[in-house]
Amino acid sequence: MDILIMILLLVIALLVWRGAHRGVIIGLWVVGVVAMIGLFRFHVTSVLDLSF
Amino acid sequence: MADVVVDSSPAVDDVTAPRGGIWGLLTFWGLHAWVLAYCGVVLSAFYIQFAMGEFPCPLCMLQRYGMFLSSLGALFVIMQARRGELTTARYAQGLGMGLIGVLAGASVSVRQILLHIKPGDEGYGDPVLGIHLYTWAFITFAVVMIYVGVMLMLMPRGIPHAPAAGSPLHKLSTAVIWLFIGVIAANVIAIIFLEGFAPVLPDDPASYNLIDQLTGR
Repeated sequence: MDILIMILLLVIALLVWRGAHRGVIIGLWVVGVVAMIGLFRFHVTSVLDLSF
Repeated sequence: MADVVVDSSPAVDDVTAPRGGIWGLLTFWGLHAWVLAYCGVVLSAFYIQFAMGEFPCPLCMLQRYGMFLSSLGALFVIMQARRGELTTARYAQGLGMGLIGVLAGASVSVRQILLHIKPGDEGYGDPVLGIHLYTWAFITFAVVMIYVGVMLMLMPRGIPHAPAAGSPLHKLSTAVIWLFIGVIAANVIAIIFLEGFAPVLPDDPASYNLIDQLTGR
């Protein structure tokens, strides 16, 4: 999963450099954010024993 | 006769909005400083990984994603400015991408800080200048949030303005962009070695998964 996200980020950077359509760039960027948040959710496996 | 209020400020998406001057240059190079700073942070993390033998945990890697996602917003604005296609709307889109990227990264940083906040917990990895890397990451995310806020306040006067194509400053801008792309590419290679054939990174990595899997260790 991490490999896919990092490759996606590299692809987005290259698309921005090449001047790809704005919708494609922003769309892929949103996919990257969602994938990152999903992976974060996957790694959060314990409740913090803290009170606020 | 009713009073008429004349708004002399440019329209929101007015491509003829005044640009250039010292503000335009400052914001253009401010975006480069943003990208360059995160390249420096990730290269420093590489130094800690390769020279000091500390492997990045999954949360560390998620913070790198936050840094890259936010830098992509800055890169988006830089490239639009270089092509002369930057409007206030596109500038705002790029800043928005940057802001969401740092918010996502900061969420991960806060989670990792809270994991180690209890007295007696030594934290993950060795501290740098007395502060752990995930706390440094949070500080950088906070700085970018403030930066984006200031840039939004300066709009539309501070719309980035690129130097002329072929000039030394334009080449410097190109070098920063390719450094950023190179840093991401290096991370792709590093993470292939770290993750190997596993679906995700191990919680507490101590070696390169790919090498272990290929050599049967």
